[in-house]
Amino acid sequence: MTGPARTPWLTAALALALAGPAHAHASERMVILTLPTGPFLVGAGLAVLLGVVAGSLGGRLPGFGARRLADWPGEGVALSWLGFAALLGLLAAGTWGDRDPLENPLPLVLWLGIWVALVLASSVLGDLWRPIAPWRGPVRLVRRLLGRRGGIGLSRLGHWPAVLGLLAFSWFENVSLAPSDPWVLARVAGLYWLTIFLLAVAEGEDWLDRGEALTASFALFARVAPLWRDREDGRSVLKIGLPGAQIVAMPVLSAGEVGLVTLLITSVTFDGLSESFWWLGRIGINPLEFPGRSAVMGIHSLGLVVAWGLVTASILGAVALGGAGRTVLLSFLPISAGYHVAHYLVALLSQGQYGIAALNDPLGRGWALLGLPDHWASFGFLTDRGWVWAIWGTQFTLILGAHLLAVVLALKLAGRKLRAHLPVTVLMIGYTVLGLWLLATPTAG
Amino acid sequence: MTKLLGLQPSRRSVLGGLAASAAMTGLATRFAQAQSSAPIKLGFQLHRTGIGAAYGRWYERTAMAALEVVNAGGGINGRPVEILFEDDGTDPARGAQAIDKLVSQDGCELVFGPLFSHVVVGSAPRAGELKVPYLVCSEGHHVASGILNRWTLQPGITDVKSQVLAMAPWVSDTLGKKVTMIYPDYAFGYDHRDNFVPAMAAAGGEVVAQIAIPPTETSFTRYFPQIPRDTDVIYHVMVGPAVLTFVKELGEFYGSGARPEIFGFIDSLEAVDMASPGLEFLEGTHFWEGDCRYLQADATEHTKAYRAAVGIDDNGASITDSKEVATVAHMFSVWETLFVIKAAMETVDYQGPADRQALVEAVEAMTIMAESAEHPQGDKVFNGKTHQVFGHQNISKVEGGRMNRVYRTEIALGDYPDEVDYTTMSF
Repeated sequence: MTGPARTPWLTAALALALAGPAHAHASERMVILTLPTGPFLVGAGLAVLLGVVAGSLGGRLPGFGARRLADWPGEGVALSWLGFAALLGLLAAGTWGDRDPLENPLPLVLWLGIWVALVLASSVLGDLWRPIAPWRGPVRLVRRLLGRRGGIGLSRLGHWPAVLGLLAFSWFENVSLAPSDPWVLARVAGLYWLTIFLLAVAEGEDWLDRGEALTASFALFARVAPLWRDREDGRSVLKIGLPGAQIVAMPVLSAGEVGLVTLLITSVTFDGLSESFWWLGRIGINPLEFPGRSAVMGIHSLGLVVAWGLVTASILGAVALGGAGRTVLLSFLPISAGYHVAHYLVALLSQGQYGIAALNDPLGRGWALLGLPDHWASFGFLTDRGWVWAIWGTQFTLILGAHLLAVVLALKLAGRKLRAHLPVTVLMIGYTVLGLWLLATPTAG
Repeated sequence: MTKLLGLQPSRRSVLGGLAASAAMTGLATRFAQAQSSAPIKLGFQLHRTGIGAAYGRWYERTAMAALEVVNAGGGINGRPVEILFEDDGTDPARGAQAIDKLVSQDGCELVFGPLFSHVVVGSAPRAGELKVPYLVCSEGHHVASGILNRWTLQPGITDVKSQVLAMAPWVSDTLGKKVTMIYPDYAFGYDHRDNFVPAMAAAGGEVVAQIAIPPTETSFTRYFPQIPRDTDVIYHVMVGPAVLTFVKELGEFYGSGARPEIFGFIDSLEAVDMASPGLEFLEGTHFWEGDCRYLQADATEHTKAYRAAVGIDDNGASITDSKEVATVAHMFSVWETLFVIKAAMETVDYQGPADRQALVEAVEAMTIMAESAEHPQGDKVFNGKTHQVFGHQNISKVEGGRMNRVYRTEIALGDYPDEVDYTTMSF
């Protein structure tokens, strides 16, 4: 890429100062703004409150047992090599392929395939990222070739390297100028892979579970899944149970894992918030002529970090105030998974179509491998009242369901004293309403 | 291209493999007259992501459709043409980068296609520095206002100032003399206010109230009592996600009783299905349209061919999804701009970057553009001094959920005194 304009900030400022008529268009939110979403917000908040009160008064909580379905020996790295090969192909596509972010497979696979669809699948079917993550195979091979054993002490840092990685990831996705530009993404993803690879070669492949941001995040998302795989005595064991069964069997979260959970929640919350009319009004940006990311990078960088601080402080504060112990923090795992899926649902349904279209013609040769016509990707459903109701209903179910599961888990994990749960309950009610409001409020774009 | 090659074209670059394919399929002769048969590369600054994405989708489709027609007709100067699209994120900083990339890295001869004003204003200086023609499809008044440079031109669509000026006489004569304007409280709304108020006065009418609504507003009921009782016409240009709410609440305000006439700019509802919830109230109201969304009974063959090529049905929606409405009122500008480029390149026998200045001068020398396959929206007059084209405007009435054209303005109605003479500026 040739260098950017010598003074991008100046041109952006000039553009802001001189911008005349601008086009705004009715966005995907225009139909939902005509729907009565207010009662849903109130109802969801009441449902969470009722859940806590009823649960603390008595009644039987689910047992959250688990059944073994199957087991098999060892843990191979064949899928990891497959993931590595796919990564190389994607990086090549990002570097030399179509530069359209909605046709190049790299941004489609990373932002929609992995960060949306695979998270959704993993929250149902267990962690699907860990086996295909493109490091384990190469790391095992290189360590063997180097005859390397032991590490350099990175493991002492617990999950904090992953927290740092996730913060960078979240900033890149939500704040940076062009996260979907295939060329930019190829460089960033390549550099990230190399950094993690070198660190894992130095420290050992087991470090990936704690130190690599996506691996550590998927492990947390997948905790809510009713189907999952455990590792027991060198064997892989497939299990099934109620959503949350894995969570009640977990040890308390480490400080680093708490950092990850709060950051995962913050990331989608801030992504939604930063596009809202409410936020843009606060930072003096006219949402009807949103000037582009270049004009808000500074304030959004700050906003992301401050939001993380607020989310962390409110969660830790509420837990400390209730005095029910750190174990309650586990109940926030379903919330982070539910929010993530609800937040990206529209992107999955709309831009996901480009992913399918890309499979139809992976090399941009005019093929129609799936028999799809040109211009197959289509967004008409976003202005269809029935569709918008269905999407809202799904999002409502995901967010309320996640919070109700969180309530049950909190009661299960930390006893039924209502007073101990009150602060967290208040927080959860607020967060349920906020989460739904973010999906119904007007946004720029 | 489909016909030529017998297979579906790549959406990205129709000519990706044309040189090879052409040789194999005997097409070489079609492009053989040119000294060089290498493709002419044109850069397209595309709002692929960001707030302009809904427009960008259709601008891209229109550009690809026009490109197919150009190449099927032998390309430009006997050379095949290729369009390279570069996403600008609807962001001025990225817009300038996109121009850099298209010109310096990809070797494009020029850049065209951006719509959003802040991107145009943020990118034009870079085009000027690189001395590369920059043909915008924005309808903004920024070109003709003189704030840009000699390399920036708008030959495909009338600017908003001209559009607004052309509406006033008809509104005054047909709908009523006393107008209340409701507009968003920022530059877009001010453009309408600043141009329409004096134009209405000149036409013998009067703007009796100006209701500026804060851009972050999402409920409008409390503003409607400000509409004077003797208002004959409400002129509205609300935009953004709350536009359905605006119409719905306006409908609730008037109920089924008498209401003033209502006139709006389709910018409010561009790419929005008229069957969307809340829009029932618009029945019987009027809209400005740059080009008519619905196929009109008297549509020309050129219009029909253009719509078929782009892939929109009689209701202005995608032929692959009847609910996905196209940005019909604006996207013709992309089609017409590509044919202006073709005409100018052929006039100067364009060979390469050394001819860029001559290309700009050739566009400046244009005057009359006749209604044709190249200009399906209608004939136009280009003003070489202001780098701005002027054309017919349409006024349509919502009837039975579709928009029927009831009036088409004369081009001269949108005239205004020149505010700049770019031809006196150096390159």
